[in-house]
Amino acid sequence: MLRIRHFIIMRYTHIASFALVVLVLAGCRKDEPISPTPVPPVATTGKLRLTLVPEWEGQPMQRFTEYRNFSDYRMTIELLKMHIGEIQLLDADTEAFLADATYWDLGNGPVSQEWTVPIGSWSVFQAALGIRPELNYADPAAYGPNHPLNVSNGTYWNWATGYRFVMFEGRYDPDPASTATLISAYAIHTGMDTCYTDLDLTPSTPIVIEGDSTTEVVVRIAVDRFFYSSTGSIDLATENTAHGNNIPLALKFTRHVKASFSVQ
Amino acid sequence: MKRTTGIGLVALLVLTSCHKDVGDDAVQTIADTPFALQLPPGFPVPVTPVDNPLTTASVQLGKALFFDPRVSRDGSISCASCHFPELAFSDPARVSVGFEGRTGFRNSPTLGNVGYHTAFFRDGGVPTLEQQVIAPIHDAVEMNHDINLVAALLRNEEPYKRLSQLAYGRALDAWVITRSIANYERTLVSGWSRYDRYLQGDLTALDEQELRGLQLFTSADLNCTACHSGFDLSDHAYHNVGQYLDYSTDPGRQRITLQPGDVGKFKTPTLRNVALTAPYMHDGRMPTLKHVIDHFASGGLPHTNLDTAMRTFTLTDAEKADLIAFLSSLTDERSLDQLP
Repeated sequence: MLRIRHFIIMRYTHIASFALVVLVLAGCRKDEPISPTPVPPVATTGKLRLTLVPEWEGQPMQRFTEYRNFSDYRMTIELLKMHIGEIQLLDADTEAFLADATYWDLGNGPVSQEWTVPIGSWSVFQAALGIRPELNYADPAAYGPNHPLNVSNGTYWNWATGYRFVMFEGRYDPDPASTATLISAYAIHTGMDTCYTDLDLTPSTPIVIEGDSTTEVVVRIAVDRFFYSSTGSIDLATENTAHGNNIPLALKFTRHVKASFSVQ
Repeated sequence: MKRTTGIGLVALLVLTSCHKDVGDDAVQTIADTPFALQLPPGFPVPVTPVDNPLTTASVQLGKALFFDPRVSRDGSISCASCHFPELAFSDPARVSVGFEGRTGFRNSPTLGNVGYHTAFFRDGGVPTLEQQVIAPIHDAVEMNHDINLVAALLRNEEPYKRLSQLAYGRALDAWVITRSIANYERTLVSGWSRYDRYLQGDLTALDEQELRGLQLFTSADLNCTACHSGFDLSDHAYHNVGQYLDYSTDPGRQRITLQPGDVGKFKTPTLRNVALTAPYMHDGRMPTLKHVIDHFASGGLPHTNLDTAMRTFTLTDAEKADLIAFLSSLTDERSLDQLP
């Protein structure tokens, strides 16, 4: 008899506990909101996409493809990397700073990067080829794996603090009639404060950023023009290495790279 | 009874699931301690960066990394491969042999007292000991690796996992690797030679020949102390000592400053343990101390930037032997490594 009573008490206890849990859970449910008339949020920002397109004589640049350069030398391109810093949009009244350092590996063709930008019409789009001194000489170990200045990108100048702003490497043969495999290597690396220079990326019309949309600026880089500009030319037979030890070549190359940019 | 047992089991399960791993517990309860750096009498305390205090765990971690060949791409070369502990952390090769037998163009210097330097490499191109660590790991002719890949490879292994947390409160990464190796190198203090004992008043520490060599070393004629002075027997400045007429293969300090006036200038090496650190000069071109003495006696080759302290002098063979004997008295009588 006692066991039956105990069984009944236990059963009611379980039922009561279950009911309590259901009540508690139901009590946690939010009330249905009384929906006001929906007001769409006003977008204050949009996206700006910058696309760099490396080209050779107007065609997409291909790594390991044999080209003829300004001197009619047979040559290939094996590596093209660069750092672009201080990217900003300017208008008469305001400015939008987008990035103090970016990294571009252009060996495999066009690369794009995007930033969120205040809506508006921007009349100037400017940047720098290279990294400004305060960042250039900071400790690279402080930058995380996805940071543009992380040493894994291979642009850090190990033997001296700082980054290579442009790395351009490949092979060449000064004999235009030869059909032999290209063996001689060239490696032109710019860097150090002397090679830091401004870049004007402003298109012919203002950049209009609209809410919740993306505006693209395409910058074409005429890699064939790395070898010449209005101020001179580079003869790979004698000017094929700049690695901090050939500043005149690095400076000349920097001028050519800067002149090779054209904005759509 | 059964109910009691059931409750007990549940409680036990709950409690055991809350129990921390022994390793984690150890990391959280054992505090890192300042490293008890031993300094010779009169030596200043080396300056350490604010973000990298010299602690026992950081030094232990740095030492483990220093001797681990997995910091190189093919797992064959450690820091100690070019900085031999028994040779005052220098390299007997003219230029060190790195990844796949590749060679550089400079001789690996001793690391003794490197914690007192304010710029690193023969040309002073790197401003901190921490940043210096990156160079050999990434250099194609040295370890040819990527410090981030090194960190990923070693991060979950002991003692790296434990020591990294203990010393820096974070997993092994580029920041921890550079800090810890730098701290280990800061402990490689050289200042326990017979010459030091002599300076501290033990007049029997140097024999007659070494004393004659000391007199020559400090003489105005030889002018060695114009650059090799102070507790580290180096001014840590950059000088052109007329080793070459043409420095186009290695312009030295000019490679960093780009100033023509710095062509051919290299940082004055310490003379501590100099008997162990052959070959000599920035490129290891001089195999013995006698070659070095002969070079300085010649006054050096003419160059626009030749240091004004360079002057010709004449020594007999016996005097050269005396000078070499004195230089040999600069060898430490104990290991530079302060970790057991």
